Amino acid sequence: IMNIFFLSLSFVSLLFMTSLSEGQEKKWKGEGTTPNLENIVIGRCYEYTRIVNPSVGEKNCSELWEAFKNAFINKDPCSILPTDYELFINLSLHTIPPNKSLFWENNQLLVNSFSGRTRRYTALGDTLIGFFADLLNWCGQAGSPGLDYDSCPTTEECENNAVESFWRMASITYAQHSSGVIHVLLNGSAEGGAYPVKGFFADYEIPNLQKDKISKIVIWVVDDIDGPDRDSCGTHTVKILENRLKTLGYEVTCTDNYKPVMFLLCLDHPDHSNCAFSSSAPAAQRGPISSDREGSWNKLIFVTFVGFLSRSALVY
Amino acid sequence: MPPRHSKWPRTILLAGIALLLVSLVVAAVLASVLTRGKQEMGPRRLKWKDKGTTRNLREVILGRCYSYVAARDKDCLKIWESLKQAFIYKNPCNITPEDYQPLMELASHPIPCNKSLFWSKTNDLVHRYTKSNHNFLTLEDTLLGYMADRVSWCGDPSAPGINYESCPKRTECESNPISVFWKMASKMFAEAACGVVQVMLNGSIEAGAFRSSSIFGSIEISNLNPDKVSAVQIWLMHDIGGPQSESCSGHSIKRLKGILEERNFKFNCEENHRPVQLLQCVNNPDHADCRLCSSKMETP
Repeated sequence: IMNIFFLSLSFVSLLFMTSLSEGQEKKWKGEGTTPNLENIVIGRCYEYTRIVNPSVGEKNCSELWEAFKNAFINKDPCSILPTDYELFINLSLHTIPPNKSLFWENNQLLVNSFSGRTRRYTALGDTLIGFFADLLNWCGQAGSPGLDYDSCPTTEECENNAVESFWRMASITYAQHSSGVIHVLLNGSAEGGAYPVKGFFADYEIPNLQKDKISKIVIWVVDDIDGPDRDSCGTHTVKILENRLKTLGYEVTCTDNYKPVMFLLCLDHPDHSNCAFSSSAPAAQRGPISSDREGSWNKLIFVTFVGFLSRSALVY
Repeated sequence: MPPRHSKWPRTILLAGIALLLVSLVVAAVLASVLTRGKQEMGPRRLKWKDKGTTRNLREVILGRCYSYVAARDKDCLKIWESLKQAFIYKNPCNITPEDYQPLMELASHPIPCNKSLFWSKTNDLVHRYTKSNHNFLTLEDTLLGYMADRVSWCGDPSAPGINYESCPKRTECESNPISVFWKMASKMFAEAACGVVQVMLNGSIEAGAFRSSSIFGSIEISNLNPDKVSAVQIWLMHDIGGPQSESCSGHSIKRLKGILEERNFKFNCEENHRPVQLLQCVNNPDHADCRLCSSKMETP
């Protein structure tokens, strides 16, 4: 009897588990729509226009949300085209200051830090369009509630999905409105090369740059601090990029390991040999000091002076 | 008698014009008096010296609350309501900590040990640092601080209860909605700290790196809990190429050391903590203090 009892118990639990997993079997492979999407994007819209960049003037953020939403809500999530976002783009468009555009590949978080929220540069994520949707996810579905919070198709599953089409449209628009000196930050340690021959920059941004508005294109190739030096200026994919741009008639310069960006990368690896400062400043100036040293102030001044002298001697 | 005939109409004409002019003047005077009177009788919103409540404050606060990753279990609408109730329709010079108590309770969350980062006179640098290095949290990286950063608010007794035109500066009255908010939030942030806490101070300002009148000096230090906090680590940063007004053996740092050791906190001071200095070098890549000895030199 015990055997029968255990058998039936395991049978029931098996049934239970399969029904559970069936319920968990998602329609698509990607993450679902970000919860509270509407509140987040409307908040971001006002955040951008009131606080981050008030120079763009007033925008009707509810109207923007409606235009954005209507591009994909209640639709088959594999049928969304970049042009479906046209109204949204028209409502959220604003000028990008010349010489501030920053394109990139394979280093999104780094670019985010480096651009400084428009203080240094205005990357796509620093425009209202990009700020609105950055790092969020969304897709629709036929039938209520119109948005799929469970799962969304990846680009491998279908190309014409809501998020992919949004960023294609955004990239096209960003390129069209860029002017002056254009900057591109590439990852010299990326697998497959610093310049993806098929990617947003290659397929949607370069073809939409306005040649008559652009004076120069500056390429920066920066390796991960701990990463391999797979690509550099004048080699492999970067060479392909340089040639492509030159053929299109642009003036092109390229720099490896652009210093300001390297410092930013060093933040996560302060003790790495590539991040060591060359200044031979005396230990009293750097390193931990517990203030138990009484009367060493004069000694400090003397040592610093000597250190400064020797450093300047080295320079000359 | 023709002359007499022409005289009469002219006199009447003159009198008529004079009367017209007088009545015009009287009408103008009356109009200005009346409208001024109307203005005085209408709802009088108080006028202050600082900028007013941020427009679309509700949407911004809600958006920030929902975006804050760790706030998945928070009721953002309730949080907004409790913030609003703290100041709406109230005279903005009469705000008390009790007004914010419900908000503080709703929005507070625990902070992991050894991650609290306090700061004074290093606003820009410290927040650029925590943006890139998620190992530390300033007040502005907690939900409360994140929602309130760079926005302002204040109420007014007259409708609609929120003053979008102006808000009081601290010099106009101390018990204003913003000052009271940050005082309370700072107190709570200090109370929640545990383990080793970090403080980023500015060694390039003349007035001294540590000031007892700052929020750090007047509120945060005294609310650190000696049963939870073991040590206080100072990062004394100098501007790249800037004056080295104070060092770790400087006057105000010594005073800070005394205050902290008296409360049984272990004290340590480090000048120009390397990771933070690296961040400063992003803006000064060619300065002598920022020269790297790496072989990966910039090659144009």
